Amino acid sequence: MSDFRITLRPALGSAPRPGSRGLSITAMPEGHVVQVLGRPHAPDLFGVLERATGAAHRSVRAAGPGQWFIVGDAPLSRDEFAALSTALQPHATAVDQSHGRVRIRVEGTIVERMLAKGTAVDLDPGAFPVGTSAMTLLGHVSVHLTRIEIAAFEVMVLRGFAESLWEDLVRMSVEFA
Amino acid sequence: MASLISCPHCGARPKEEFTIKGAVLSRPAADAGHQAWTDYVYLRDNPRGTHREYWHHTSGCRRWLVVTRDTVSHEVGFCQDAAAAKLAEVRP
Ligand SMILES: [Zn+2]
Repeated sequence: MSDFRITLRPALGSAPRPGSRGLSITAMPEGHVVQVLGRPHAPDLFGVLERATGAAHRSVRAAGPGQWFIVGDAPLSRDEFAALSTALQPHATAVDQSHGRVRIRVEGTIVERMLAKGTAVDLDPGAFPVGTSAMTLLGHVSVHLTRIEIAAFEVMVLRGFAESLWEDLVRMSVEFA
Repeated sequence: MASLISCPHCGARPKEEFTIKGAVLSRPAADAGHQAWTDYVYLRDNPRGTHREYWHHTSGCRRWLVVTRDTVSHEVGFCQDAAAAKLAEVRP
């Protein structure tokens, strides 16, 4: 057994809050992020995913062909993860990424204009409606973008890049302050 | 150099999201001669015009694609998932 107690610290705990009026950038709760990888040539798994997530406060986010993220604000217990993993078998494999990916909420009426500084994805609500997700580059950082409300996006990023991305988002929003 | 690639899964994305993985060549049989393997591993044409290459959508869907582009006009032609391209291939 290790001599050191492992303590979970929020990835963005010490990040300063930006003070702009038109936009808000908030660290989302570090609940759970489960990566789901479908077997090659598996049929459309959306129904399986919907059933596996059940009525719990979780959302399914598309992340490319045969890949999804299941996210939620509450931490996932060992038993809950095991149940989720079993429910996906034999169609897909679940990997707990809760420790490895951080979600940031960016919100505001001109939020697309701010994000457009970093990504080439067309974020017009017509092309990218609520519930749509995309893996893309935001500046130099690889992120997973989801429109969660008409004027709010979730930006999911690898934990080690969270603070750097936060600084980028703050800088991108400065002109709208 | 082509600057926008139409990923069949993600739509048009800038080239910065991709990694070029080289010319699409068919792999020789395991017992093919030394010359065939040297050609396959080391020797590359430097075509003027149409070129078929593997592109990996590293910062997107992470799928391997087969991209046909023109090295003179920089025009990007057909972009296909590499798995689909392989399925479509006629194998002797
Ligand atoms: Zn793609």
